[in-house]
Amino acid sequence: MRELSYAEAIREALRQEMQRDERVFIIGEDVGVYGGAFGVTLGLVEEFGEERVIDTPISELGIAGAITGAALTGMRPVGEIMFMDFITLASEQLVNQAAKIRFMFGGKAKVPFVLRTPAGSGTGAAAQHSQSLENWFVHIPGLKVVMPSTPYDVKGLLLASIRDDNPIIFIEHKLLYKVKGAVPEEPYTIPLGTAEVKREGRDLTIVATSIMVKRSLEAAEQLAHEDIEVEVVDPRTLKPLDEETIIRSVMKTGRVLIVHEACKTGGYGGELAAIIAGSEAFDYLDAPIVRLAGRDIPIPYNRDLEYHAVPQVENIVEAARQLARGEV
Amino acid sequence: MAVPVIMPKLEMVQETATVIEWLKQEGEHVEKGEPLLVIETSKVTIEVESPASGILAGVRVGPGQVVPVTEVIAYVLQPGEELPEEVPPEATAILPPSAAPAAPPAPTPPAVSSGPPAPSVAATPVARRMAEAHGLDLSTIVGTGPRGEITRADVEAVLSAPSQPTAASRSEKVRATPAARRIARERKVDLSAVTGSGPRGRIQAADVLGAIPTPEAAPAPVATVVPLTGMRRTIAERMTTSYQTAPHITFTVRVDMSGFQEARKRLNARAEATGEARISATALIVKAVAWALKHHPWLNSTLRDEEIHLLPEINVGVAVALKDGLIVPVVHQADRKGVAKIAAEVRDLVVRAREGRLTPADITGGTFTVSNLGPFGIEQFTAIINPPQVAILAVGATQPEPVADEGGQIVVRPMMRMTLSVDHRVVDGATAARFLTDLRDVLEAPALLSW
Repeated sequence: MRELSYAEAIREALRQEMQRDERVFIIGEDVGVYGGAFGVTLGLVEEFGEERVIDTPISELGIAGAITGAALTGMRPVGEIMFMDFITLASEQLVNQAAKIRFMFGGKAKVPFVLRTPAGSGTGAAAQHSQSLENWFVHIPGLKVVMPSTPYDVKGLLLASIRDDNPIIFIEHKLLYKVKGAVPEEPYTIPLGTAEVKREGRDLTIVATSIMVKRSLEAAEQLAHEDIEVEVVDPRTLKPLDEETIIRSVMKTGRVLIVHEACKTGGYGGELAAIIAGSEAFDYLDAPIVRLAGRDIPIPYNRDLEYHAVPQVENIVEAARQLARGEV
Repeated sequence: MAVPVIMPKLEMVQETATVIEWLKQEGEHVEKGEPLLVIETSKVTIEVESPASGILAGVRVGPGQVVPVTEVIAYVLQPGEELPEEVPPEATAILPPSAAPAAPPAPTPPAVSSGPPAPSVAATPVARRMAEAHGLDLSTIVGTGPRGEITRADVEAVLSAPSQPTAASRSEKVRATPAARRIARERKVDLSAVTGSGPRGRIQAADVLGAIPTPEAAPAPVATVVPLTGMRRTIAERMTTSYQTAPHITFTVRVDMSGFQEARKRLNARAEATGEARISATALIVKAVAWALKHHPWLNSTLRDEEIHLLPEINVGVAVALKDGLIVPVVHQADRKGVAKIAAEVRDLVVRAREGRLTPADITGGTFTVSNLGPFGIEQFTAIINPPQVAILAVGATQPEPVADEGGQIVVRPMMRMTLSVDHRVVDGATAARFLTDLRDVLEAPALLSW
């Protein structure tokens, strides 16, 4: 099958959906003439014009308010927050308006937007351009949170998100943009709330999100040489969450390692751990649930420190090995 | 007039309160508004004031007792006044005798200093509830509350003490993973008897599985599967057919092999002299069998539909064990061949059988079979007839044995047992017996071969 990069897969999804549905438009900082800070929307303004690919000033609250309003009037906007860190500025519209409106109007109004935003460290962009803030939005009823890890998933999930009638925080990862993978040319959707077992194994389950799926798969490959068979499960959407796939995997392996880049404290791993511990899988746990996550520190600018601030392949290998050997 | 002291209702949903301590003693003078006793609700500990001035009397509850709200717990009397009659006598019994209700306002020793006055123990409601839930006897717990009452912390301390005596709490101390507990539950394994191999001795699933007796834990060893094909299939089919269609009867005789061995010695000496191959025991037996068959043609026959065919040739098959099967090459017209020739043929057939080089002619046309397990040390066995033949001879090992000789003396002789199986549809017992005894005779005296 044809290969595309993660960024190209996003662009293709945007283009195909804008061709299919004239209500879809893009709005954000530098998304037009410049083509996006990471080149994701490159060429789209030329193809669809400035009315449908709108460059804004530095005004995140404005972007969030505009997509909320446009969605309310029947458009299907795709906003972009250039770095997820800046989403703090947009949170009033996202948290107090977009997430609530459908419920407060008894379903008479809906806010079908997608807000795309890149998260994650590893680019030397320091503490204000490297955060993974997904769990803030997981906490807000009314928002859906999607976190694709592969080019295939990002296209299918973006198309499903644009067609969904709810406000969606669509979290990409800066280091994934250039990762290539097989992507079908025709449009397709992946239903929100379906996890995927990215690799099957018998000894332990790794539940990982975003870039950590890739790193976990690399770790699993290494561990296979030690006769440790790791199963890697990617939730793909944090909300709604496909609990069943995760629980079934844990019941099979009896051991679970949760890996995400966001800071451990208050991170999504805590939620996953509690869901697993409170499920049918509890009686199958043969070791404590282990979380491997970002350190509770602002991402350092120094590249060595930055590297060690979040889980890397070798950390996953080490944690998984200990867990599989019953040393935890 | 006697003023009742009631247990006050202090909260919306309060149903009871616990007496913590009496601040005034039976018979003591109290002023209205003066604290009488301390009570504890689920929320607060509070002093109850005297509803009147007078003498405290008729105290009906002691420290630690739980009393429903609005219940009368004592009276305040005017001098010379009697307790109301409805006071149940047993209620006063909880007080020391010196605190008789009608007693004058003489000083009486405070209840607390005269030893434990009440049968119950002072404890907070929470502590009481916890103790009850865990089956703890409150009287065994030392209270550390402000007035010595047992608090929640005291109960917790007892519950978490390492020397907890109850079985329930001991099993809680077993460190095991949920999976280990589930497996123990399902497979009825006592976790306290399992040694944990996990961190800090935690019992893991593998530990529980390892503690299950092996017959259950270890799956039955998987058999090596060999498909029933080729020679194996042929043997299986032919033996089944034979055993199911031919009613076998068997006859065993003991043969003194002295003469046989003597004859072989001479024959071998001859073979050596002429440079021919040694005469094997099998070859000589084949020769003897052929001789006996010549005299007993019913043993050299076959059953075809409704007819018994007495066969014109005497072709003796010799069972040869292969690595993975069995084959019966045939010495054709054995009755017409000399023993040296038979020996050479048998040798050749065995070699080619083991090398898989037998021709169809080598293995067809047999009219009788000899199976010799003597070289394996088998004393005696029965063989299944090789169809379409009607008889087979099973030859055992020749071993020195004490026997009685003609004079009744015990002597040691080389003895051999051979068993004849015949198809009773064709061969009757007497026929078989005559054949077998003749065969025995010729083996014992090979000179008979020339008969």
